[in-house]
Amino acid sequence: MRIGIVCPYSFDVPGGVQNHVMDLAEALLGLGHEVSVLAPADEESTLPPYVVSAGRAVPLPYNGSVARIAFGPVSTARVRRWLTRGEFDVLHVHEPLTPSLSMLAVLSARGPVVATFHTAMTRSRVLAAAQGVLQILLERITARIAVSALARKVQVEHMDGGAVEIPNGVAVAKFAGVEPLPGWPGECATGSGGTLGFLGRFTEARKGFPILRDAFVALAAHRPGLRLLVAGPGDPDDLFGRFPAELRDRVTFLGLVSEVDKARMLRSVDLYVAPNTGGESFGMILTEALAAGATVVASDLDAFRRVLDGGRAGRLFPTGDPAGLRTVLAELLDDPAQRAALSACGDQVVAHYDWPVVARRVVEVYAAAIEATDGRVIDQEWAGLGGPR
Amino acid sequence: MTPTVPQLWAVSVAVVVVALVVVYLVWTAGRVERLQTRAESAARALDAHLLRRAAAAAVLAEQRHGVELYAAARIALDAVPEEREAAENDLTRQLRAARLDPADPSCGAVIAASRRLALSRQVHTDLVRDARSARSRPLVRVCRMGRRHPWPRYFDIDDPTLALPADVPAG
Repeated sequence: MRIGIVCPYSFDVPGGVQNHVMDLAEALLGLGHEVSVLAPADEESTLPPYVVSAGRAVPLPYNGSVARIAFGPVSTARVRRWLTRGEFDVLHVHEPLTPSLSMLAVLSARGPVVATFHTAMTRSRVLAAAQGVLQILLERITARIAVSALARKVQVEHMDGGAVEIPNGVAVAKFAGVEPLPGWPGECATGSGGTLGFLGRFTEARKGFPILRDAFVALAAHRPGLRLLVAGPGDPDDLFGRFPAELRDRVTFLGLVSEVDKARMLRSVDLYVAPNTGGESFGMILTEALAAGATVVASDLDAFRRVLDGGRAGRLFPTGDPAGLRTVLAELLDDPAQRAALSACGDQVVAHYDWPVVARRVVEVYAAAIEATDGRVIDQEWAGLGGPR
Repeated sequence: MTPTVPQLWAVSVAVVVVALVVVYLVWTAGRVERLQTRAESAARALDAHLLRRAAAAAVLAEQRHGVELYAAARIALDAVPEEREAAENDLTRQLRAARLDPADPSCGAVIAASRRLALSRQVHTDLVRDARSARSRPLVRVCRMGRRHPWPRYFDIDDPTLALPADVPAG
């Protein structure tokens, strides 16, 4: 299948949508499809061979934040040229409701269009002012994908249409294959040692870091050698200042980490803790931690319970309860057999989120969109096994 | 008698307005036609997927799971349009009761066909909704655009997905 994918955001800046597009493109190439990705990028930046640059992105204030996007007559001409040269069987745009390359591509496209909605964004102010434009845009889309239950709910309630829910994938091989950081995770015996991990903005209330901190402080007092590994953006003083002085040398802070170091960090912990108090629509970090082989302890949120298969692939604790978290941590640190059992189940669960598996489901949506455009049903093999035509 | 300047102006404005109205009408007619055609293509694809699922179910019923499933598949294949939705829902219920093993090729074929049917149904519903909303606009009704096409119909069946997709749990 010849697939054209449009990413609205520049590859020069890392971000969730960009990572998703790159992983999806690589998985589709791996299944034997022909893929071209159109994205804004600076002239001098080095891009993967399947990416076509649509020129520089300009920072524009949009919907309360600054988006680096490409929009305007020059971009339109580039999008049209890319579409004409590509002769795609299907066009796959991401976040088409942002004024961006994606929107331009939808408006210029003739054939089947699949759109993926990432954020649970409701109508933006710009589009609310132009209801007619929104309608024209949406009716050019043949099939819609939502990456989370929340994003799908917005589709159904606000955009007046359904969407197929296909979760974010995780590149299992990238996480399972890396070496842990030197000296980690160290020993974990009955009553002593062990490493807990946390990744994310520890200053943000909904990430729930204080819950983990309280549980760690209470636990570390009775458990010599217990260590905490923290990664994420933030000021080290904010982090260490809130721990009692005698425990500070048992906390290690890595700061903001690259994708590779993120994988290494997740490989370096015995237990990965996700103490979030809400606002998670999917729980990408849990699938990444599972892929890295960590045992996961997470708060009992809907999204987390679903990823962890109701608690079979990782332990759940009552949301916002440090004492509950502490009990679960103490039990797991002393029970290597249970950790191993949870990890084994985690491997099975995460296999369903592996990119090649997720990409096959996306290809089925492509097939449905193509069929709905010309009325003929595509051979099962094409969609299922993904061989080129 | 030569026309005065205001008369020339009035005529030019009228010509421009008429031209704009004509352009808008032609564009709207094209849009209605496109949405209609697409909804009809989606209906053909949906029809094909329904047949595929029923055929796969019949094959499975012949191998095992017996008479009731076979009857449901036959009825779904032969149903007249008015009874088809009920017949397809009945087949979905029979398949749900059958406890399929994804590792078995015949069961796998039914599961895959059901998954593709679910996608096809979702897309069809969305495209019919688009076509109906375009055709219910007052201007489109007054000009009777799209009158060569029948009014697009929904195909109202339950979600035919069997269990969770064998690949990916809901996430």
